[in-house]
Amino acid sequence: MNIVIRELQATRKSLIIWCVGVLFMVFAGMGKYAGMTGTGQTINELMAEMPESLQAIMGSGGFDLTKAIGYYGLLFLYLAMMATIHAVMLGANIVSKEERDKTAEFLLVKPISRGKVITLKLTASLINLVTFNLVTLVSSIVMVQRYAQGEAVSGDIGLLMIGMFFLQLLFLVVGTAIAAIIKRPKRAASISTGVLLLTFILSIAINLNDKLGILKFITPFKYYEAEQILNEGLDPAYLTISIILITVLTAITYQSYKKKDLNI
Amino acid sequence: MNMFLHELKAYRNSTIIWSLGLIAIVVLFLSLYPSFSRDAEEFMKVLEGFPEELRKAIGLSFETLATLLGFFSYSFLYIKLSGAVQAMNLGLSIISKETRDKTADFLLTKPVTRTQVITSKLFAALTSLVFTNLAFLASVMVMASFVKTEDFSEQALLMVSVTLLFIQLIFLSLGIMIAVLIPRIKSVISISLGTVFTFFILGMISSSTADKGLRYLTPFNYFDNQYIIRTLEYEGEFIFIGISIIFTAVLASYWIYGKKDVHSV
Repeated sequence: MNIVIRELQATRKSLIIWCVGVLFMVFAGMGKYAGMTGTGQTINELMAEMPESLQAIMGSGGFDLTKAIGYYGLLFLYLAMMATIHAVMLGANIVSKEERDKTAEFLLVKPISRGKVITLKLTASLINLVTFNLVTLVSSIVMVQRYAQGEAVSGDIGLLMIGMFFLQLLFLVVGTAIAAIIKRPKRAASISTGVLLLTFILSIAINLNDKLGILKFITPFKYYEAEQILNEGLDPAYLTISIILITVLTAITYQSYKKKDLNI
Repeated sequence: MNMFLHELKAYRNSTIIWSLGLIAIVVLFLSLYPSFSRDAEEFMKVLEGFPEELRKAIGLSFETLATLLGFFSYSFLYIKLSGAVQAMNLGLSIISKETRDKTADFLLTKPVTRTQVITSKLFAALTSLVFTNLAFLASVMVMASFVKTEDFSEQALLMVSVTLLFIQLIFLSLGIMIAVLIPRIKSVISISLGTVFTFFILGMISSSTADKGLRYLTPFNYFDNQYIIRTLEYEGEFIFIGISIIFTAVLASYWIYGKKDVHSV
């Protein structure tokens, strides 16, 4: 329990900064929506005819931009990007910082097992992720509702946030797994963010070309796309893949950390 | 000179990895162009069926987007993002690593002034960025000539690509300045990603809403690709702002580092 409290204290400041960032994002993003209503229905019809690769470039996706929730769908990609950067760096740092700051000896001579250290660190990270997610959820509902002209949006936003939570979890354990495997602790955060940027850019490349569609199982950003969640709901297949990936990566984190030759 | 060579060596691997990464992005995106241009042609036919006013409204921006240059400008956004992360990382780490790795007193007890220290580090960083940019430019030119469907203005392509270096210089100088301002940096990547993504997202908001004021705030939008492609010129005002930022940041870094209390233990 002490470890959880200690980690929460250590991550408090950065969590507050991230939450302020995401609040700003939601407010600024939705605030802009007010200025661009009334583009008309014809644009929508035209957008629907557009091949996907063109939609990607025009930046509209398959969203109904005349509705607040459609515009929010556009914004969701950036919110997810922020959330995953937060998660992956949290995961990589929370495990690797003991070695980096030379506190690993101090921690591991305490009468707790390495497995337990990981469990407690993951618990603290989870609390961080949930806080981030709730802040985004509440601010989004408030802001989108304001512009939605009476339509119910909470359900859709709730679904999107569930998707975002899975993304956060997935990238958290990507971070911890990389930090647990890697030999040089300083590299953990860079490699994890490298993986993140790579999957992100891959997801954009897939939008540009159908032939790359097969790759969409590699990049989690394609599992939870706002367009798909808003139109069809969460896809059970992707949920299953995410859960399997999260389980496997968590197991890897535990196994590698237990066997790890710490760099002291 | 020793310091310069030492830094070059220390960053050799990371420079190579970043260069390869950027080349990979260029190859990935540009190799998607042929199928994209087919999509675009089909869509042009669909567009015929829509009312004329609408065609005018959407067509103008669309026609520039559907060309190789337009398509490249779009991918260039993500190249700028990666490039900015590289530059910011480099600037932050090249200064802050001495404190973090406890090598500051080793370095600063040598018979060199702090000004010389910064100068060598600055030039090493510069060399690394220039190398990355040369690799990037070469890959863009080669890929573009492979995938082109019709002739395009090579000068425009070059002018757009060169802006990467300029944006990187802005972020490099920002990174160096932040590194001399903060006494001890534990994690370089957290600061650089935070800063770069804030500017990137500001840039996205600014360009999707055409907000004039926001444009001054984010280096990502100092160069309007459409404008460069159309006129083959940069916007003087923004070049001026960019250069002022670089100069101010670098001068401030020299000044602050000269009298800074460096943590050595």
